[in-house]
Amino acid sequence: MSIAGKIALVTGAGTGIGKGVAVELARRGVQVAVHYNQSDAGALHTKQMIDELGGSCLLVQANVANKLEIERMVSRIAEHYGGVDLLVNNAALQLNHPLFDYSEADFDRMFNINLKGYWQCIQAVVPYMKAKQFGRIILMSSVHSKRPTDFDVVYSMTKGGIRMLGRESAIELAQYGITVNTIEPGAVDVGKQSARESKPFMTAEEMDKHKRQSRPIREKFPLGRVGRPLDVAQLVCFLASDESEFMTGSAIRLDGGSMLL
Amino acid sequence: MLLSTYVVFITDSDSASGKAAIRRFIAEGAHFLLNSESGGAALSAELKLVEESGKQAIVVNIDLCKHADVMDMLQYAEQQIGTVTTLVHNSKVVLPSSIEYADEEQFSQSIAVNAKSAFICTQAAGKLMKEKQAGTIIYVSSIHAEKPTGSAFTYSIAKGAVNMLAKEAALVLGRFGIRVNTIETGPIEGDSQLFDSTISTLYNDYEYKVPNAVLGTQEDLAELIYFLSSDASTYINGADIRLDGGFLLHYMNVKMKKP
Repeated sequence: MSIAGKIALVTGAGTGIGKGVAVELARRGVQVAVHYNQSDAGALHTKQMIDELGGSCLLVQANVANKLEIERMVSRIAEHYGGVDLLVNNAALQLNHPLFDYSEADFDRMFNINLKGYWQCIQAVVPYMKAKQFGRIILMSSVHSKRPTDFDVVYSMTKGGIRMLGRESAIELAQYGITVNTIEPGAVDVGKQSARESKPFMTAEEMDKHKRQSRPIREKFPLGRVGRPLDVAQLVCFLASDESEFMTGSAIRLDGGSMLL
Repeated sequence: MLLSTYVVFITDSDSASGKAAIRRFIAEGAHFLLNSESGGAALSAELKLVEESGKQAIVVNIDLCKHADVMDMLQYAEQQIGTVTTLVHNSKVVLPSSIEYADEEQFSQSIAVNAKSAFICTQAAGKLMKEKQAGTIIYVSSIHAEKPTGSAFTYSIAKGAVNMLAKEAALVLGRFGIRVNTIETGPIEGDSQLFDSTISTLYNDYEYKVPNAVLGTQEDLAELIYFLSSDASTYINGADIRLDGGFLLHYMNVKMKKP
């Protein structure tokens, strides 16, 4: 399974899953555009990890809620590497506001980043993929795209939208040799919480109760552990490879079986 | 929840589904809060029937994406006819739009009408229903919350979002005695134009892809809306009910019941 030489854009690659994906792609010889928005600290660390592996990467900054910034970013990648073969849509926000506390502005912000941003990143890379009649698009969604989890209503709404974005894009872009697949990770250990704006999804009182009621790990995760960014990255590598050429419009739950318990 | 009088808030009363729902709830002696783009002009027949039933209808024409306006309206209605018992979100707009070429305006309009208004109305009505520890919320969604159209992706993604709104709200509001459900409506007359696609042949011969070759009506929808708002469905919460006569299950064209 070789993906070496391909050109990838991974959004939100300065932290968590995005970082894990970018590093693993680079380790396998993919030329990776490492996207970040507000702070380049995480992205610089991703770059350092890639450099240490002897891989190739390019740091790119954009606010994915802004179409012009997306277009500027993608054309810079194309100029630097000669196109874009693989898009990993990953940059997303999870605010964890309770239903009654959500403001209209926060609703818009969530939709603009998590859903409009995913779509407009697709729009921006399609011309380059069309030119090569080849493309792989991967949407990082969540188990929340199908199952409610009581964390953040609007976050789940955006993931429910992504479920359909994946299906619509798959049937529309197939004619250009582009496949679109969705990954639905469950809990993934991303170390120190990277999404700086996220509130805890439990109140202090609920957290206390949660701790007192803590259960053995296998009661929640049949395989005895939570996910790691590398689990997600390995699936991305498969979806990016030629071996997955007949797969499109699929959504793969990657949660160690936790949603089945 | 035992209801003496329904107070039914319909988000798009001028639509065929809105009118059918009004007529169905008149039979239950309901009061109404009707959001009407025509300001009631398109509803003269229904409003006359409400009046004849001895109940009240408050007609408004507001932007359902503005929380403060929706809340003011619901609080005004609360004083006049009682707390809303039933929210029927049937607002929709289907804009032809492709992933490749759609513009941001189409995206924003579709999200606003199809999904954001559902969220804002749920927040506002949910707050009032919470006080009463009772209420039902029904989203009139579409099979396209699951099935891509190949012609209007902004509609599919918005209804996909509503699908998850319903499930999350069923948990959050369920703890306050409020039930939240989704109706995924299938084809009605004219949908072949609405979802005209160069990619998907779903709507070719659509009337025969319903196994019994009989399309559903707005009255079928109104009956289900009523059922989901009534005490006959107290254990139904967070469900997506497909109302399409089996259309989405169709597979073999040669087996269609086509004359």
